[in-house]
Amino acid sequence: MNFLKIEDEINFSQTLYKLKREIENFLHNEGYMNIEPSIFEGYDEFTDVNFRIDKKSTVKVFDNSGEILILSPDITTGIINKFMTRWELGLILKIFYYGKTYMFSNGIKEKRQMGVELIGEKNENTDESVLNTALKIINKYTDDYLIEIGNSKFLKGLIEACLFNKVDYDNVLNLIYVKNKQALKEYLEKLPYREPISTLLNILDLEGNFDEINRSLNGLYMNDLMKEGLRELYNIDEFFKNVTNKITYDLSMVSELSYYDGIIFRGYINGINKEIIKGGRYDSFTEQFRFNVPAIGFSIELDELMKYLYKGVI
Amino acid sequence: MALTVAIPKGRLGDQAIKMFKSLNIGEIIDEKSRKLIFEDTEKNIKFMLLKNSDVITYVENGIVDIGISGKDMIMEEEADIFELYKMNIGKCKMSVAGIKGRKIFQEDAILKVATKFPNIAKKYFETKGQKIKVIKLNGSIELAPILGLCDVIVDLVETGNTLKANGLEIFDDMYSINAMIISNKVSYKFKRKEIKELIELIRREDEKYDKDN
Repeated sequence: MNFLKIEDEINFSQTLYKLKREIENFLHNEGYMNIEPSIFEGYDEFTDVNFRIDKKSTVKVFDNSGEILILSPDITTGIINKFMTRWELGLILKIFYYGKTYMFSNGIKEKRQMGVELIGEKNENTDESVLNTALKIINKYTDDYLIEIGNSKFLKGLIEACLFNKVDYDNVLNLIYVKNKQALKEYLEKLPYREPISTLLNILDLEGNFDEINRSLNGLYMNDLMKEGLRELYNIDEFFKNVTNKITYDLSMVSELSYYDGIIFRGYINGINKEIIKGGRYDSFTEQFRFNVPAIGFSIELDELMKYLYKGVI
Repeated sequence: MALTVAIPKGRLGDQAIKMFKSLNIGEIIDEKSRKLIFEDTEKNIKFMLLKNSDVITYVENGIVDIGISGKDMIMEEEADIFELYKMNIGKCKMSVAGIKGRKIFQEDAILKVATKFPNIAKKYFETKGQKIKVIKLNGSIELAPILGLCDVIVDLVETGNTLKANGLEIFDDMYSINAMIISNKVSYKFKRKEIKELIELIRREDEKYDKDN
């Protein structure tokens, strides 16, 4: 058996370097400016703004005054923390970064990420233009990919209208997350009937082609927030349907991060078991800082992309 | 692109294979042979026979697209997978059992629980507010309370005959367990149509089992 040699390691590193450079050049040409994210974040500052982050899995370090810091588990939160406290109204930031994130998962897990954030701009095709950037990146490296798009407003509007208590809310969301249709039905049937539940019972069928989803929604309960979410997806579908057939929709998409507020999207490459691209709109995330600044972004999982691209020393 | 399906070896797998075969799928599968991979080239499905506790691992890591696994394993492993369909086979209960007539535990603050399912046991007793010490065993769980290793056991119960034969009884039924069709999350995105079609076929066959049992 041959184990990893120095030569292999250098070769891997070269391929990664080229990949990074290529994406950086592309983003630079698209008008994004580079920033360097910080590795350290204040533990309290971070968990205050991003309350969904799993505190136990953060990697903690102490500075010499006993202050608790963490190695950044999510670069977007760090960037928002850094810029929002001194935001100037009217500013538009188009930025990209390369950085690493850290989490405990059988030891410390380090992930290489690149990412894009567009903060302060929202017109009728901002979502489309950011999505298009993500699409172009993944399209550079493969034809065998998919971008799946959801909208957190739809599920949020629906779940809020169901008026669940905390326990039911968590259980229902979890059943949606694992797509367990029968258990969801059994669970909802035990709860007092409310009109929105009619849509919730069908939520797991609201996936695939946008027109089909729209047809399935016929006659089902919808409120304003849900309609707003659906309209945003409709606009995206109108924009992309004649451009690419790589986009599918999933209205039941649940995000691990709490801050998404609007479209959420993920990019997959066939045969790679993790998301390659993760992103979405997070306007409400900035609201915590007294400013109402629209923001959207995505990250690229470089380690996963490398698994697909790197074929070893030839 | 062939769909890959993991089937657990043993009784559950045998029932599943029977179901597939009555749908004219996977007729090539020979449970008696030592081969572990069978390819139905006509239906474009590849079957793999795995140890039941390994099915989830293969599915979660994307080595196979879908698999058949007991809900007990799914709860225990807490794997990141989709639980697409609950089947009418592999039905049983997850229960707390102990020595007949010794149901009341008041002296000891910490209950000793022997089980093959430490995560399920921990979660269940946590919701009950009962502190426990988990003792992980791999088989013959029924012996543990008799020999004094633990106070109670958490295990799968089908008929309850094994418990009875060893002087044990069920104290609490925790969860009902079924076989489930699970799917890898990324495979589901790329092969949604094939996966849904196959599940729809199985569902029709599976519903007959509901009447049989």
